[in-house]
Amino acid sequence: MKRPGPIRESVTTIGQDGTRPFLQPAIVFGSWWKARRAVAWLLIAFFAALPWIEIEGFPAVFLDVEHRRFHLFGTTLGLGDLWLLFFVITGWGFLIYATTAFLGRIWCGWTCPQTVYLEHVFRVLDRLFEGDHVSRAKLDAQPWSDPSKLLRRGGRMIAYLFFCWAVAHIFLAYFISIPGLYPMITDAPLAHPAAFVAMAVATGALLFNFWWFREQLCLIICPYGRLQSALIDDDSVIVGYDEKRGEPRGKAAPGIPAGDCVDCHRCVQVCPTGIDIRQGLQMECIACTACVDACDDVMTKLKRPTGLVRYASLRELGGGKTRFLRPRTVLYAAMLAVGLVVATVSVLRVQPAGFKLSRAPQTELYAVSAGSVANVFRAKIQNKDEVPRRFFISAESAGTKVAVLNQSAGMVIEPQAEIALPLTVLVDRQDYRGEFNFTLRLRSEDGKISLLQKAHFIGPDPRTLQK
Amino acid sequence: MTTPMSDDPQRDPRPVIMPHAYDGIQEYDQSLPNWWLFTLFSSIAFAFLYWLANFVTGTVADDRVALNAELAALEARQLAAVKNLDEATLWKMSRNAKTVADGQAVYASLCFSCHGPTLAGIKGVGFRLNDDLWVHGNTAMAVFGNINEGIVFEGKPTGMASQKALGTERVAAVTAYLLSLQKEGAMRAISRKDEPSQSTP
Repeated sequence: MKRPGPIRESVTTIGQDGTRPFLQPAIVFGSWWKARRAVAWLLIAFFAALPWIEIEGFPAVFLDVEHRRFHLFGTTLGLGDLWLLFFVITGWGFLIYATTAFLGRIWCGWTCPQTVYLEHVFRVLDRLFEGDHVSRAKLDAQPWSDPSKLLRRGGRMIAYLFFCWAVAHIFLAYFISIPGLYPMITDAPLAHPAAFVAMAVATGALLFNFWWFREQLCLIICPYGRLQSALIDDDSVIVGYDEKRGEPRGKAAPGIPAGDCVDCHRCVQVCPTGIDIRQGLQMECIACTACVDACDDVMTKLKRPTGLVRYASLRELGGGKTRFLRPRTVLYAAMLAVGLVVATVSVLRVQPAGFKLSRAPQTELYAVSAGSVANVFRAKIQNKDEVPRRFFISAESAGTKVAVLNQSAGMVIEPQAEIALPLTVLVDRQDYRGEFNFTLRLRSEDGKISLLQKAHFIGPDPRTLQK
Repeated sequence: MTTPMSDDPQRDPRPVIMPHAYDGIQEYDQSLPNWWLFTLFSSIAFAFLYWLANFVTGTVADDRVALNAELAALEARQLAAVKNLDEATLWKMSRNAKTVADGQAVYASLCFSCHGPTLAGIKGVGFRLNDDLWVHGNTAMAVFGNINEGIVFEGKPTGMASQKALGTERVAAVTAYLLSLQKEGAMRAISRKDEPSQSTP
């Protein structure tokens, strides 16, 4: 039975009975495809290389969840710096939103891992093992009793498994580093059950995704595509069909005028999500430019100008001119500038030490003796650096004279270690004028690190101390 | 947004529009993907199995029961430890290097803020603990009790709160650490005003 052509009302890859029709898209090795492949290979190489590159003794990216330390390009962040993630998440979201306003869903077509791996690894394996879209469709129709189907499809699945397995390992290396990963690979699986299960689950999930799920992820699970109608306006550059030039489609006949579209359906054949781009911008479109390459190829053969399907804004396709400077893009640029400045300042202010203060547990709020009033605090001091450091703690106050007990010698903290330290803060009775605020300063011996914590000194009403 | 709709409508039947309309919004009669329905049915199956295992067969232990059992066991251990504690046991613990080291670690993390890192006491804050003079009782059990219960003097707490939250084992370990610096039978009682670390120099 011939599958009906794409319609706007239904998703091509969800059957009327809920089954999942598989697409076997054709491929046109056009200039956009080549450019996208170059970007994809670069991204894959980048992803695979990062755990291997060593910066200041650690991998370039090493999210050491086990020890709650995150090594990023030579900087080490602890759990206490986790708030910086705010900038990563909002910045990432903002970048995608801003880019969408200018260039539509360029993220989907060029850089999304789903597209990058599906188009440039797994579909390559499809073509390698099962041939072009015509022979793949034939293979689909063949019964499993045919040994050649078993051989070709089985070979493809083994190749799939290998790549999923490799990607899962690289992914795991981001969390346990290559030196941590290697013994896990050489040891028996049961020696590291958690890591093995993580690797196996990741491999299985990737395999299911790239073999079976594919475009369903973009169409049904990914929220970004669903936001398209809110993020794109008439001036966003999208992959669009020039209706003015193309219509009416088909062959010209005497008395019947015709546009440039010859209704060859090449753009439909190559679409990885199974839509007809000539029906306009659709939620399913991942802006992958496959139809651009396909149409340009046909137009070149017909000796007509290319660009019947091209990157253009809805305004341009309607005969107008794309406006890049518009209120929302100006606002986005301004917000981006603010975000970048705040993020940069925040990251530059991260110190290679941590200093936190709380009241000591299980002690009285204050103690009064013949000579002084005392408060006990608990300080948590973390040395995030790779060398041991000596730290000193001192108390500073604008009014009352205040001192920290037994801290003149300071303390040495080993690299990447954190200690909890009780601090007794003393005020002489004759200096005591009631409760007051003061500051505790953590200072490294070389003076490079200086961190402040505000504290409140609790004590009795000073009148009760007078005799 | 205008969209060209020039596909032949006779070639492929459009989905049926359902008769109802809410706020003027109508919907197509479309099937959910089967894989989607599969996730729905599997979660229903999981819920049934979960209910079966947790509430019918009891294969999976109830969290509350497990927690209470654990707490009871912990309490029993602590009670047993306190019940078995006596002078001889505490002194015996003070000769066990591991227990003393544990006690020293607790001391270094908590007690030393008032009694000083060298146990020399801090004037106005905590008594000296490395001499043989003891204000609040000169027996091993008294030292243990003071740490465990805190010190109440003349009806009001005088500064040291109960350290019971450390647990019997660790309170006993700190006691053992302090006893390890004493000679059995040589701890002397002294009055509060004569405690040397608190007297005015």
